Amino acid sequence: MADESLPIAAEGLKRYFGSGDDIVKAVDGVDLRIQPGEIFGFLGPNGAGKSTTVRMLTTLLRPTGGHARVAGYDVVSEAADVRRNIGVALQDAAIDPLMTGRELLRLQAVLYGLPKAKHGERAAELLDRVGLTAAADRRVGTYSGGMRRRLDLALSLIHEPSVLFLDEPTTGLDPMSRIALWEEIKRLNHDGTTVLLTTQYLEEADQLAERIAIIDNGVIVRKGRPAELKAEVGSPTLFIGVEPDVADRASEILAEFGELRPTAEGTLGVGLPGGSAQISAVVRRLDEAGIGVRDLELHEPSLDDVFAEATGYRLEGAES
Amino acid sequence: MTLATATAQTSGVAQTWALSRRSMLALFRQPSLVIPSLVFPLFFAALGTASYSRATALPGFPEVDSYLDFALAGAVVQGILFGSTVGATALATDIENGFFDRLLASPSTRTGIIVGRMAGGMAYGAFQTAFFVVVLLPFGLTVQGGVPGVLGLVVAGIFLALAVGALMASMALLTGSSEAVQGSFPLLFIALFFSSAFFPRETMSGVYADLADLNPVSYLVEGMRDLVIEGVSASALARAILVPAAIAIATVALALRTLDRRLGAS
Amino acid sequence: MNVATTGVRAASVGLAKRSVVNITRLPSAFLPSIAMPVFQAVSFAGTFFAITRIPGFPTSRSINWFLPLAVMMGSGFAGIGIGFTTIRDLESGFYDRIRLSPAPRASLLAGPLLAALVRAVLMTTIVLIIGALFGARPTHGIGGVLLLYVAGLGVATLGTGWGLAIAYRFRDMRGAAVMQLTLFLVLFLSEAQTPLSIMDGWLEGVTRINPFNNIIRLGRLGFVDAPITWDNTWGGLVAVLVLGALTLLFAHRSLDRLADV
Repeated sequence: MADESLPIAAEGLKRYFGSGDDIVKAVDGVDLRIQPGEIFGFLGPNGAGKSTTVRMLTTLLRPTGGHARVAGYDVVSEAADVRRNIGVALQDAAIDPLMTGRELLRLQAVLYGLPKAKHGERAAELLDRVGLTAAADRRVGTYSGGMRRRLDLALSLIHEPSVLFLDEPTTGLDPMSRIALWEEIKRLNHDGTTVLLTTQYLEEADQLAERIAIIDNGVIVRKGRPAELKAEVGSPTLFIGVEPDVADRASEILAEFGELRPTAEGTLGVGLPGGSAQISAVVRRLDEAGIGVRDLELHEPSLDDVFAEATGYRLEGAES
Repeated sequence: MTLATATAQTSGVAQTWALSRRSMLALFRQPSLVIPSLVFPLFFAALGTASYSRATALPGFPEVDSYLDFALAGAVVQGILFGSTVGATALATDIENGFFDRLLASPSTRTGIIVGRMAGGMAYGAFQTAFFVVVLLPFGLTVQGGVPGVLGLVVAGIFLALAVGALMASMALLTGSSEAVQGSFPLLFIALFFSSAFFPRETMSGVYADLADLNPVSYLVEGMRDLVIEGVSASALARAILVPAAIAIATVALALRTLDRRLGAS
Repeated sequence: MNVATTGVRAASVGLAKRSVVNITRLPSAFLPSIAMPVFQAVSFAGTFFAITRIPGFPTSRSINWFLPLAVMMGSGFAGIGIGFTTIRDLESGFYDRIRLSPAPRASLLAGPLLAALVRAVLMTTIVLIIGALFGARPTHGIGGVLLLYVAGLGVATLGTGWGLAIAYRFRDMRGAAVMQLTLFLVLFLSEAQTPLSIMDGWLEGVTRINPFNNIIRLGRLGFVDAPITWDNTWGGLVAVLVLGALTLLFAHRSLDRLADV
C-alpha cells in the first residue's frame, strides 16, 4: 500500500483510454513518493502523461489501475477528503469570464466551506497577495493571461491547502510574469506547502524543484535531485555544427572521443570525459579529416542532457 | 477591347458562378445547420395534421381534404425562412473571418458577389419546396394544381428565398456579425406567426386578424396554398410569385445599398 | 486552515447565485428566455384562435389554452439552459474547478436546479401578467394558478436533470442540440396543441403513452372549464415526481462518470 504519511504517494498508477487496438496508455505505472514540504517537478513534453497523472491525483479522473494517496487519503475511495486538503491550479487557468475576481473567490470560499464571516476577508487577502486588488471587481473576461493565472493560483489557495498541484502554471506567460509566479511558489513552499509542479520547461524545474521526475510516454524514465541526475549524465557535452554532407563522417570521428549524444537537428553532440581539455584534440582531428567546423560549444551537463539521455530526444525549444 | 478587360469580363461571369457554387456547396457541407430547415417544417406539418384535422370543418376554413394540404404552404415558407438564415449566417462568418474582404479586393463585380451569394439560397429554396412536396405526397398530400402547380410553388420558393436571403444578407452586411444574424431570426418567426401561415385569416379575430391582414406573408402563403388546394389560377400565381418578387426587389436593393455603405465605411 | 465539511445547502445556494448572476450578464441568452414564452403564448393563441370553436373544446379562450403550454416550454428551456451553461463550463475547463471543490456532489446538481427554478418562477409570472393583458383568465382562482407553477417547476426540474445529464455525457455543443430536440419532441407529441378528444391517428397513440402529457394537463387545470379533481391532478404530480427523480438520478450518475473520461 502507498504510504499514508506522505503528502503524495502513488504506486503503479495507470490510466488507459479507449480499448482494443486503439488503446492509449496515457499513464502506464507511475510510482511517486513525495516528501512533506518539498517542491517536486514533473517534467515531460506535451502528451507525456503529466496532466493525466495530475488529474488522477486530484480526483478528476479515476485510475485504470494502481493506487494513490494524497494528503493521507485514497484518491478514489476518499475523494472528498482529498479535495478538502489540496489546492489545484490547472492548465490554461480556465475561469468563468462572466464573473469578477472577487465573486469567484467568494464562491470558492463557499464551496470549500469557509465560515461565512471570513469570506470577504479571505478574498481580499488573497487578491492582495496575487496583486489583483485593483482588478478585483472587473469581470475575468477582461483579464490578461498573467492575471488569470494569478487569480487561478489565488483560487487554489482559498483554504490554505497543505498540498498544491500546479499543472504547467507558467505555460504561455511572458518572462516577467513567469518569474513573479516562481517567487510566489517559492514563498508558499517556504511556508510549508508541498508542491507538485508539472512543466515542459527545464529551466523551471531546475529553478524550483528539489526533486524531479521525467515522464515520457506514460512512464517515469528518470527520478531524483537535479544535481544528482546531471552528475549521472557525467561528462559535459560538446556541440559541433558541420555541413550536412559530412555529418556522418564527423560522427564517426566524434565517437572516438566519447559517447554520442542526441542533439537538435544540424548539430552533433559528444560527451567528453576529459572536459574542455579535449576540445583542441577534437577540432584538430576533424581538421585533418578535412571537415570544417561551423560552430562549437561546450555545455556542462544540464537537465536538458538528462532529459535527452533518458528519452532519446530533446524538448522543443530547450536551449541546447 | 484589350486583353485585360476581356479577361475581367469573362472572369466576372465565371466568378459569379464560382461564388454561387461555393455558397450552395457550403449549405450541404453543414448538415447540422441544414437538417433543421428540412425536418422542423415537416415535423410541425405532421403534428398540425394530427392536431388540427377537426379544425378544417370550422367556418372560415376553405374546403380541403386534410389539414396537410392546407399546411403545405406554411411549411414551405417556414423551411425557407430557416434556410435563408443559414446562408446569411455564412455571409456574416465570411465577413468576420476576412474572406469577404478578399472577395471585394478581387476583380469580381459587386453585384456578382451578392448575386452569387443569393443564387445558392435560391437553389436551396427550390430544393426545399420540391423536397417537402415529394416527402408529403405519400402521406396523403394532394396538389390540385398538378405539375404546373408544383412548378408555381417552386418558383414562389425561389423568389421567397431571394427576398428573405437578401434581407438577412443586409443584416449580415450591416452588422458583420453572425450572432446578430442568428439573433434576428425570431423576427422572421414573428412575421410567420402573425400571418395566415397556419390558420386562415377568416378564423382570426381582433388585432391579430388586423395584423395578419397587413402582413404580406399572408398573401404569399395564401397564393401558394391556393395552388395546392384549388388549382392553378392567375390570382393564385400572382400572389404566390409577385408578392415575394416585390419583396425581393426591395430587399436586394437594400442589400446593395448596405454593401455600398460597408465599402464606403472601410 | 482547518476546513470543515461543506454543507449541501450553502454550496447549492452559492452555485445557484452564480448561475442567476451569470444569466443576467448574458442578455443574448436571458432576454429570449423571457420573450419566447410570451411570444409563444400570444401568437399561438392568435393564430390558432379558431380551435376553441370546435365543439367540446375545454375552454373558449385560446390564450387560456396556449399560455400553460408556453409556460411549460419556457420552463423546459430554463432547465436545459442550465445544460447549455454547463457545456460552456465543461468546454472551457471551469467545470474542473467546480468538481475539484469538496462541495458535496449533490450540491453540483441542486445549485443549478435552484437557479432554474428561480428563472422558471420569474418567467411564469411575466407570462401570466402579459397573458392576462391578452385575455387569459384563471378558471379556478389562485389554486389553479398555483398548479401551473407546480407543473412549470416540475418541467424545469426534469429539464435541469436532463440538461445536466446530457451535458455531462456529450461535453460539447452536440449535447445542446440533443437537449432541444428531445424537449421539442416530448412537449409537442402531446395535447400541446389540441386535446385528445379532437386529435386523431398516430398522435393520439403517442400522447396516451407520453408521461409528459400529464404534466401539461396539470398546468392547464386552472385555465380550462372542467373542475379540478384529484383524478385529473394526481397523474401530473406523479409524472413530475417520477420524471424529476429519474432525470436527476441520471444526472448524478453522469456527473460521476465524468471521472472516467
